[in-house]
Amino acid sequence: MLQLIPMLLGITVMSFVIIQLSPGDFLAEIRLNPIVSQETVDRMRTNFGLDQPLHVQYLRWLTNIVRGDFGYSFAYQVPVLWLVRSRLFNTLLLNIIALIVAWAIGIPIGIHAATHQYSWSDNLLSLFSYVGISTPTFFSGLLLLFVAFKTGWLPIGGMTSLDYDLFPWYGKAFDVARHLVIPVMVLGVLAVAGLTRQMRANLLEVLRQDYVKTARAKGLAERVVVNKHAVRNAINPLITIFGFELGGLLSGSAILEVVIGWPGLGQLILDAVVRKDLYVVMGSLVIGGVTLVLGNLIADILLAYSDPRIRYD
Amino acid sequence: MTEAVGDQGSGISHGPGEERQAATSSAQPPETGPLTRPQPGRLPGTQPRTPLQLAWRQLRRHRLALLGGVVLVIFYVMALVADFLAPYPLDFSDRERFYHPPAALHLRDATGEWHLRPFVYATRLVDPGLRTFEADRSRGYPVRFFVRGEPYRLLWLVPTRVHLFGVDDPARIFLMGSDGFGRDVFTRIVYGSRISLIVGLLVVAVTIPIGMVYGGIAGYFGGRVDNLMMRVAEVIIAFPSFYLLLTLSAVLPATVGCATRFYLIIVILSSIGWAGFARLIRGYVLALKQFEFVLAAKAMGQGDLRIILRHVLPNTSSLVIIVATLTIPSAILGESALSFLGLGVREPCSSWGNLLSAGANLINLSRSPWLLIPGLFIVATVVAFNFLGDGLRDALDPRMRTG
Amino acid sequence: MRERIIMPLLVIVAATLAAAMAASQSAPPTLPDIPNPKVVVEAPEIGKFGGTYIVSSISDPRTFNPIVAQETSSTGVTGAIFEGLVEQNYLTGEIEPGLAESWTTSPDGRTWTFTLRQGVRWTDGTPLTMDDVLFSLEAVFTDGVQTSTVDLLTIEDKPIRWRKVDDRRIAFMTDKPVGTFLRLIGSLDIIPKHKLGDALAKGGAEFNKTYGIDTPPREIVGTGLFILQSYVPGQRVTLLRNPNYWKVDRQGNRLPYLTRYVILIVPNLEAARLKFLAKETDLYSARAREFAEFKQGEQAGNYTIHDGPETFSSEFLVFNQNPTGVAPPKLTWFQDVRFRRALNYAIDRKTIAEQVYAGRASPAWGPESTGNTLYYNPKLPQYPYDTGRAQQLLAEAGYQKGSEGLLRDAQGNIVEFIISTNAGNTDREAIGNIVRQDFTKLGIRVTFAPEAFNTLVGKLTGTFKWEAVIIGLTGGIEPVTGRNVWLSSGSLHMWWPKQEKPATEWEVEIDRLFERATAEINQNRRRQLYFQYQEVVATQVPMMFFTNPKTQPAVRNTLGNIKLGLQGVPGELETLYQKTTSRP
Repeated sequence: MLQLIPMLLGITVMSFVIIQLSPGDFLAEIRLNPIVSQETVDRMRTNFGLDQPLHVQYLRWLTNIVRGDFGYSFAYQVPVLWLVRSRLFNTLLLNIIALIVAWAIGIPIGIHAATHQYSWSDNLLSLFSYVGISTPTFFSGLLLLFVAFKTGWLPIGGMTSLDYDLFPWYGKAFDVARHLVIPVMVLGVLAVAGLTRQMRANLLEVLRQDYVKTARAKGLAERVVVNKHAVRNAINPLITIFGFELGGLLSGSAILEVVIGWPGLGQLILDAVVRKDLYVVMGSLVIGGVTLVLGNLIADILLAYSDPRIRYD
Repeated sequence: MTEAVGDQGSGISHGPGEERQAATSSAQPPETGPLTRPQPGRLPGTQPRTPLQLAWRQLRRHRLALLGGVVLVIFYVMALVADFLAPYPLDFSDRERFYHPPAALHLRDATGEWHLRPFVYATRLVDPGLRTFEADRSRGYPVRFFVRGEPYRLLWLVPTRVHLFGVDDPARIFLMGSDGFGRDVFTRIVYGSRISLIVGLLVVAVTIPIGMVYGGIAGYFGGRVDNLMMRVAEVIIAFPSFYLLLTLSAVLPATVGCATRFYLIIVILSSIGWAGFARLIRGYVLALKQFEFVLAAKAMGQGDLRIILRHVLPNTSSLVIIVATLTIPSAILGESALSFLGLGVREPCSSWGNLLSAGANLINLSRSPWLLIPGLFIVATVVAFNFLGDGLRDALDPRMRTG
Repeated sequence: MRERIIMPLLVIVAATLAAAMAASQSAPPTLPDIPNPKVVVEAPEIGKFGGTYIVSSISDPRTFNPIVAQETSSTGVTGAIFEGLVEQNYLTGEIEPGLAESWTTSPDGRTWTFTLRQGVRWTDGTPLTMDDVLFSLEAVFTDGVQTSTVDLLTIEDKPIRWRKVDDRRIAFMTDKPVGTFLRLIGSLDIIPKHKLGDALAKGGAEFNKTYGIDTPPREIVGTGLFILQSYVPGQRVTLLRNPNYWKVDRQGNRLPYLTRYVILIVPNLEAARLKFLAKETDLYSARAREFAEFKQGEQAGNYTIHDGPETFSSEFLVFNQNPTGVAPPKLTWFQDVRFRRALNYAIDRKTIAEQVYAGRASPAWGPESTGNTLYYNPKLPQYPYDTGRAQQLLAEAGYQKGSEGLLRDAQGNIVEFIISTNAGNTDREAIGNIVRQDFTKLGIRVTFAPEAFNTLVGKLTGTFKWEAVIIGLTGGIEPVTGRNVWLSSGSLHMWWPKQEKPATEWEVEIDRLFERATAEINQNRRRQLYFQYQEVVATQVPMMFFTNPKTQPAVRNTLGNIKLGLQGVPGELETLYQKTTSRP
């Protein structure tokens, strides 16, 4: 638990250093505006505190964070927390739904693949899922947008329709669900591929264990053997993946959000990094770090709960 | 859910309890049990098989893995003899024939006569707005093989001027069309393969030694050393790899040449993977530490470093091979993600990543779809690596390598 | 007996009616609350009320505060909500009355007195008063407020002065006459004192945070065409018609016609294009390459794509002449005007126009765009593409191409340099490629190295360590607003910024021309001065301009009052209307 603090500290120092490493600062864009004079730019620099030495800037930020003040965004002049809050739910929603979908599809496929190792269906599924993860997301996102446009079934990016506010609650849910289809497909395929491979491998290994042979010898139906005993044991290691996925939720979908136009945190952070909007980046990284640690914690708890052999002291 | 960089759903988890994970990370082939040494009491007449032969037998069963291997061999050969295969030099551009569709090869000419050797027609721009071209059917230009073209050094050694195929001016043989500058897409793909295919190998070549040494030391010494080293590694793992990539790439100075930039990108891509790999190795080493051969070596008085390097680490080799085949595709995808953000290899160098990101827009999708062919190459390579990695993992069970 | 009365009666009645009609037609339209509404005359049709107009924007607005807003994603919203004392006609570029209904100039051109329009109200019902104008001026000049307007209202390092004459009039005073004063004062948006006064009293930093994107929409109060209804981050901005607006059409109907104005936020141009083709938006600024295929799809898509005029922005290649950034021999070459002129002949503008803009661009010889119809000088010296002539001019200047194909200067140094540009801008990268190939033909060793935008700006404005850069600048109608670029003391005087004294004769001349143009009230005389400055630039070639690309706006056919204005703007929000109200 106490490991949290040095780790978070490490993340913040690292991100601060890296951002400072890259040349220029937030004011680069404004400097190239023919109207704006040098004096105005200099004044802005002082206002943002960018003329202070680096360690002063960092320490000031750190003391504020501890008090819960994440600072203001240079670009938007609104509190960083407000910015994050306005987008956090969207990213979480996308990633969680994709996670659920991936698990719902990945586990059964993994089981099927393990029980039919090297069959043509195993190979075909592998092929399909590998193609899914092998395509750069900006490419698959673009292709799917185009398909959405051509067929007219699905909305072209975004999260809600124009008249969203006028819909009843179930209309709103349906609207968001429609907009989720494409991004979930892209993200889900990525996760499904890993899950099936992992599940397949684990299950195959479990199936060779002695106690499985015992169960078979006892005369239990194969289906019961597999589903009741083997799968339960094979799933355990996957729980650690689940915890890690929870932790990586906030950063994983950045490129996809940009290509599809999903109004999420990834888009925000990407822009902030490029623009060097210092406090937005640092604040988001802290939040990302916290979720990662929380995710790992949840994974630890789940693992300890499900597998009596592993106990942490 | 992470995409494109670092994790490919590779099954390498970074959570706790992955020591257990590592031990159960591969499947057992049914007919070979957990062999640590050839078993006595075999059927008469059969030869003892080395683990390597058993592994190969296992691999052969996995047809798609073999197919993947073949595809990769083809691509790597293509990269090696790129200058020979490419009909045009890398910088060649035909300022009139840009966005030119792929060359139409004919066997039958306008008079209805059949030719043995395929030929092309010279083309003329008809509509500058829609970029449509018209073939001049009065004269066919046969495709010649082993033509004399731009001089180069085959395999960087032999100076020669021979290229596999070509046509005489003013006809063009744009096998996969031309891009917005009038450059032959096939040529750029063939040269681009060098960067895209090598990037993975080099990233692995950097990540693996660093990860192995770091993880090996941490796992072997244990205690506070291990604790400290793992905390540092965890910070790096926790840092969202994508933003690390982004900010580091922005640091790269611009005026370096193609090759230097390439190497720097290798370093950057490696920086995200080594920590997770180190943690994996460390877990392995922690387990291996208890094995007899290590205790024996200690008892014999061998130095720690020697034990790590000569006894412990070689036993992680199958794990390393598996990780390697799975890191390479994520490096390739990482390179294309960087190109998409404008931070990868730059013009005029070509890599599949920057060819694809330059080509991936809707105008091209509808008007010049041949510009998206590099994407197919990326997909094919990554799929091939994944299948190969799968096959290798099935074949190389780590418990076979404790001797 | 009756006929003799009826006929004259009829005539009298008819005459009276005719007189009354004539009188009513010559009387200007009025509104019940506004005695002198502005009549918008340039719209071809009288529109129908109702309808929604949807456009797309590539990024989110960053603020709703018009004083702080600088980027188009924000000004696209604030421009619909807030207004200034004067406005710019979108067709001609001329300055017209805005919140000020009239103005007078003193004979010496140093005092401008504006009369505020009566009856205008803020959208929360509060009347617009002179206090709001004074407050807005105060905000611009308050220390710590982040705005570019302050630079526009500062003439030669002295801010303009103002004085309230009475409740309806305000006078502005400058030390020297300023010919472009009207355009400069138009950059000031008037903000409500009763809403933002408290924040400004707490200081500039507090004021910067007001009217940010986290503000509840009903707090945002303006005088303009629309009222902010909602902002969903990352998705859209919705604005509703201002029912108390102060402009009317020719028939006296209160504008605007549109009920709703929506800005959809899309991630990139691809998505914008798709949404337009899917009929979700009404306007799409197509790329040059899309023009031909969009023309083919007009019927099916129910839109028209227009052959629009050029924008005011410029793209150019500039060589570093700054001794702090570059050393001889490179400095000698870059400072040699014959070198620059020769290279200008080696730029293949035709190929650039065809490859990068699908032929939809005209060659640019000087700093002002062909689209700037007010001030563009059509008679500039030209440099048609001719590598032979370029080579010859280089030879005459002492640069010889050796037998091994490399160009050397008179001292025998090989001529080589690096051209940078910002990576990710595909147009500039394409241009860089073409230029590199042509310069290589001359025997020059050119490296083309795109780099991150921030790095580039750092070099251009900070370290000055660069050799040649391909970059672009946005432009306004009045060249003097770009004085940071053209004055030798300017911070954006790219090839040698912030000179203490002008380094060359011609830079002295440009400084002088700008000074005179700033003071020149007569537009024709000002135009002549601008013509001269363009000629100096075209002759001395500190920057080599490439082309002026055209715009090609695609507009849904359901929209009425479409008439293309400067820079390809299809119409003005006041008079746009939907002919069919199939969308609510």
